[in-house]
This record gives sequence, structure tokens and C-alpha cells, in this order.
Amino acid sequence: MRYLMLQKAHGAAPDEKLYAEMGAFIEELTASGVLLATGGLDPVGFKMASAGDELTITDGPFTEAKEAIGGFALVEVRSKEEALELARRFRKIVGDGETLVHQVFGP
Amino acid sequence: MTEPPATAGTPDMAANAGTSGVAANVGAGGVAANVGAGGVAAVAGAVWRQESARIVGGLLRMVHDVGLAEEFAQDALVAALERWPVDGVPDSPGAWLMTIAKRRAVDHLRRTTRLEPLAQSPEQAPEPAGDDVLRLMFTACHPVLQPEARVALTLRVVAGLSTTEIGRAFLVAEPVIVRRIAGAKRTLAEAGVAYEPSAALASVLEVVYLIFNEGYSATSGDDLIRADLCLEALRLGRLLAGLAPDQAEAHGLVALMEIQQSRSAARTGPAGEPVQLHEQNRGRWDQLLIRRGFAAMLRAREAGGPAGPYVLQAAIAVCHAQARTAEETDWARIASLYDALVRLMPTPVVRLNRAVAVGFARGPQAGLDLIDELRADARLTDYHLLPSVRGDLLRRLGRLAEARHELERAAGLTANTAEREFLLARAAVLPEVGGRSLGEATAEFLGSPGVSSPATARAYGQTLSRIARVLGERTPLSELTGARVHEACQVLWADAMPRGWNRHVAALRSFAAWADVTEISGMLQPLPVTSTPAAGSATWTDSAPLRERTLWTMVRESSAPITAILALDVQDLDLDDRRAITGVVSWRSATARLLTELVADRTHGPVFLSERRPGPGRPAATRDLCPVTGRRRLSYERAEYLCKQATGGTLRRLRA
Repeated sequence: MRYLMLQKAHGAAPDEKLYAEMGAFIEELTASGVLLATGGLDPVGFKMASAGDELTITDGPFTEAKEAIGGFALVEVRSKEEALELARRFRKIVGDGETLVHQVFGP
Repeated sequence: MTEPPATAGTPDMAANAGTSGVAANVGAGGVAANVGAGGVAAVAGAVWRQESARIVGGLLRMVHDVGLAEEFAQDALVAALERWPVDGVPDSPGAWLMTIAKRRAVDHLRRTTRLEPLAQSPEQAPEPAGDDVLRLMFTACHPVLQPEARVALTLRVVAGLSTTEIGRAFLVAEPVIVRRIAGAKRTLAEAGVAYEPSAALASVLEVVYLIFNEGYSATSGDDLIRADLCLEALRLGRLLAGLAPDQAEAHGLVALMEIQQSRSAARTGPAGEPVQLHEQNRGRWDQLLIRRGFAAMLRAREAGGPAGPYVLQAAIAVCHAQARTAEETDWARIASLYDALVRLMPTPVVRLNRAVAVGFARGPQAGLDLIDELRADARLTDYHLLPSVRGDLLRRLGRLAEARHELERAAGLTANTAEREFLLARAAVLPEVGGRSLGEATAEFLGSPGVSSPATARAYGQTLSRIARVLGERTPLSELTGARVHEACQVLWADAMPRGWNRHVAALRSFAAWADVTEISGMLQPLPVTSTPAAGSATWTDSAPLRERTLWTMVRESSAPITAILALDVQDLDLDDRRAITGVVSWRSATARLLTELVADRTHGPVFLSERRPGPGRPAATRDLCPVTGRRRLSYERAEYLCKQATGGTLRRLRA
């Protein structure tokens, strides 16, 4: 089953050590076939809303900086517990903050 | 998501993750406190799945025995289930398990009374964990094991599945899997197998692809774990490709599996019926997996070397994945890839697929010509895709009645209900074949007064039903030709002893006379019955090279393990006493004669040498090299291969 992990963004710049640990973590998960895709998100973006026939486009940013989603990882695991374990390891590397984890249905 | 996933550390996640902000309150202790004992078991299970290969692999390096290594790793898991609910889940659960397991292994090594003191403390030999996992994979897939044992052991020790899960996945009772794995561990321990990565890579790839196909063929969906085998195989393949990045075939296998898996949602219809590739809704293909497949294919090309079977199959899969519609498929390229593949892997199934591709690329008649070459292959007698493909080609040639007959025959051969109905539906739209069919005529003949006794009827019935199965029950009697019946007999009974063959011929001649198809009788001749025994294992003695003859004779005359025979050195031989001074191997006169010739004036080094010196990337231990020529010791895999090539059987079978 697939899980999408969403990282909330933060203003503080990551240091060298975090880069190295994160690099090793991603490399390990990629090699073991767990990590299917990952990427960072531009916190700005735009929003499209529809109401009846009306479409409204608003340019970002929208939320407070600490609520914006800054990155994602799509992982293929066997159980929710495995997803939880990965999220735990991730949080240990990046320190304080929040990760949202959702199961992806299909395919 | 327009970029393929990064293969090396590109810390995208880190770049956007903060180092300050709201404090997380799910600390390590917090997890234990929140989830309770049952939850800890689930956490331990998840950690085990993710870490067991590294742990067992690390222990294998210490104790050189898969069975022991797994036992110690399991001990650590049991300890975790006792400790974690009390102390909380540790910060690095994987490292915790590893520490405990290593402690058990060190205790064991101290206990065992070995003459040699431990050469080095395990902690003093740090190796990258990746090498440990790779060694574990190669050991679990060692060619001395039967393929099914390799599969079970790999899923157990590398993928970390339980025996219950493996049993369910392979539709086998759990005790069978338990026995299979125990037997595999014992075989490995007894054979004392050497670790030869490049020689065994093909075996590992084969095991991974076997696991994948087991899951892929489980279209019924009654137990999801069977389909999960595909994901397990993908994970193993990606792991292998990551650990052996210079092996093009490993990347090729990953590309092949990613792309095949990308079609998993599209390959069955709403009622569970199979949907053929060219009829699939390409919008349901998983583009993420396709892109991963393309990326793996690029890595395979970068690794270089001549394209092997997996790279070629992956290239074919890539062609299909690149076509936005079935009509856009580049059949000419696919057909030429199959031309190359069939040279490396001339298996019936590959040849059949090649015929399909050629049928699209160079016209149905060209495809049909290739198919008809295959009809003489006994391995495909019961394979429903052969008549199914043939039926399609005949339909495109406008030979509709024959096409219908072939599709019906295919329906009769498949075990899958949904597929049978699908084939029958396709047959039903084609015009019916007229006249009396082979099946009807056979039944009538067996009940006729000409077949006097029930015993005769039973014997004739067996012959005729086998023939009807190959030719198709619905074949009109009017289309039955002597040549076709003769071909079917060759497929079924080419290896039969003269008496058996003559029994079938008698039945068919009797039927032909009754049905007035006299042409058949002319083509089928009884064989002279002689008392010569079947050609046995004695046939190799003269034609094979001296080294092989010596090895095979020794295998036959000695009861020592084959690995022990291959491990013999010239200085170990006591030629007068006909035994090795090391004590394990002894032989008799035939070996003694050959051995004198083989050893000639050598005084040191392995008795059985390969033709080659080790390549630059594969250093060999000094004791495995001939001091004079520098050639290396003959490996088990190579010896087995040569034996199979020459005699058609394994080395062990020489003893049978």
C-alpha cells in the first residue's frame, strides 16, 4: 500500500548535517524500493476555486508559513505500522515539526 | 511529479522541513505508552520487515550459516517483544535489534569449541551493510538449492515474510514451507557453499522474477497477498539493483517488473477477465511505475555490456509503454527485439511471443509460420496460449472456421474460468465448422462392435483422448491429415519405448480403418522391438573432455559431497590408496586411471581447474589458483552447467 507523507515547511535553513543525514535516508529508502517519489514544493503556488460556473484563481501564498506544505514523499509499504516507522525515522532526522501521512488508494 | 525519483541524496524533503517550530510530542517513550503491548508488537513487526535483511546479513558474515544467523536475529526480535513494552521502543529500533542479535552470535562463537581461535572479532571487521544484504541474497539463491527452496528462503530471510504468509502466497500449507526452508538451510550448511557473486547473479535474478510472476499470475484476487508478491519482488529487485549497480541485467529486471506492474490495474476487466495488452485502457497504467521503469532502463544502458535477456524483455516492455495507443505500437522494433531474445532464450514461450510480434510486424502469415514450427514442441501441448494465438492469426487471415476451432481448443485448455469464457465468446462470433468432429468420432468408435473387450476400449480410449487433446476435440474429421496426426504422435510419444509406441500406433490404425481415413495408417509405422535398455548415463564417457570425464567418474565412484570433490587439491591426492589424504573422498579404478592422466606432472593447486584465469574484478584465494597456469578452481555452478549441457542431467543424477 502507498502512503503520501507531507512535510510542513519551515523558514529555518537546514544545516550541512541535516542535508547529509537526509541524503543517506533518501538513498537508503530509494535503494530498498520503499521510496517511489519525493520532491520539495514551492510554498507560493496558486489556488483555483469553482462555484457554479465561476472559476477564481488566486495567487499564493495562502497560509501561515508553518502551515504550508513544503515537501512530499510517496512510499510503498506493507502496513500502516511501516509507514509510521518511516515517518518516525524522518522526524528524528529533521527535528521539531509536523508530518501528515495519508494512505493513497489504488491503483 | 515530473522528475523521476532521485537515486542519490537529493534532500528535497530536508530542504523544506523545519528544524524549529511546534514540538513533536510523539517521542520514543510516547509511542510505547500510547500504543500498548499489542501496538509494540506491530511496531516490532514493522521494524523487523524493514531491518531483518540487514540484521540477518550482518550475522551471516559472523557465523557463516543462514540458519544460525536467522535464529539469532529471531532471538533479538523475541527480546524486543519482551523489553519494548516495558522500556519503550528505543530511538533506533533496528540498531537495538542488531546489537542484541550480535551479542547472541558472539556468545555462540565463544561456546563453540573450535580448534582455531577466532581469527578476528566480528566488531573489528566493519563492512557496509549493503554487502551483507547482497551476500545474504546470493546465499539464499545459491544454485545448489532447488528453485522453490530459493524462493521460500529468500522471502523468509531477505524479505522478512513469515512462513504463514509465504504459504498463503504460494497456496501451500505452512508446514511444507517450514520444511522447505529448514531443508534449504541444511543443504547450504552441508554444502559449505562458497560465495561467488557474479556466478550466482543469474540465479538471484531468476528467483526475484519467479516471485514476481507468481504474484502476477494470481489474477483471481481471492487472496491479496498473492498479488502482493509482485510488490515484494519489486522491492527485492530494486534492492538488488541498488547493491549491484554495475549489473545491467539487475536494472533490466527492475525495469521489466516496474513496467509490467504498471499495468496491474488495467489487465483485468470488471468481471475479472484478462484484458490483453493491446485492448487495455492505457489511461489506467501507472505512469509513476512506467517512469521508474524507464529510469531503470537508462541505468541498465549506462551499465553497458551486451543486452541480456532481462534487458531485452525490458526493452520490449518499454516499447509497449511508449505507445500511447495500441495502434502506435512499434511492432517492427518489438519483433527485432524478440529476434535477439530468442537467440538468448529459445524457450517455447519466448518463441510464441515472438510469433505474436512477427504477426503484427510482418503480417499474420509470417506469424503463423513461426507458430506452426512450435506445434511440434511437447512442452506446449497443454499451453492454451498456443491455440489462442494461432486462432487470432487464422482469424486475421480470414480462415474463420479454423480460427474458431483453435479458440475453442484454447478454451478447453485454460484453467482460468474468466479466460475460458472470454475465449469461448470470441469463438462464438466465428462461423461453425461442419461435419463430424474428432471427439464425436472417437466416442462412436470406442462404442462400436469392432472394439471388442473393455480392456481394449480403455487402452484405445487413452491413446485417442490424448490425440484429441492435442489436435482438438472439435477438429472436423475431414480435416484430419496423416501428417498432422503423425506430428501429434511425435509430440506425445517421441520418447516412448517401442512397445508403448506400437500400442498407440495400433489404436490409431484401428481407428483410422474404422473411420476410413486410411492416410493416417500409412504415416504411422510400428517400431522394431529390441531388448536394448534405454540410453543411460554411460553415453558421455568417450566424447567429453578429460576433466569432465574424470569429475563425473569420481562423482559416481565416490559418495563424498560434490563440493568436497571440487575442493580437492593435487597435493591431497593419494593416488596409490585411491583416496584423498584429507579423508573425505575416495574412488575406484576407473577414476584412478583418469586421474593419473588429468594430474599429469602437476604437484600443487586444485585438481579440477576452469579454463579461465580470474578476471580483474574477481580475485580468487591463492589456494583456488593453479600455481603454474594461474587458472582458477572449477566452480560448482560451472561444473553443474557443463554436466547438464553434456548429459542433460545434474551432477547428483550421475549417482542415481
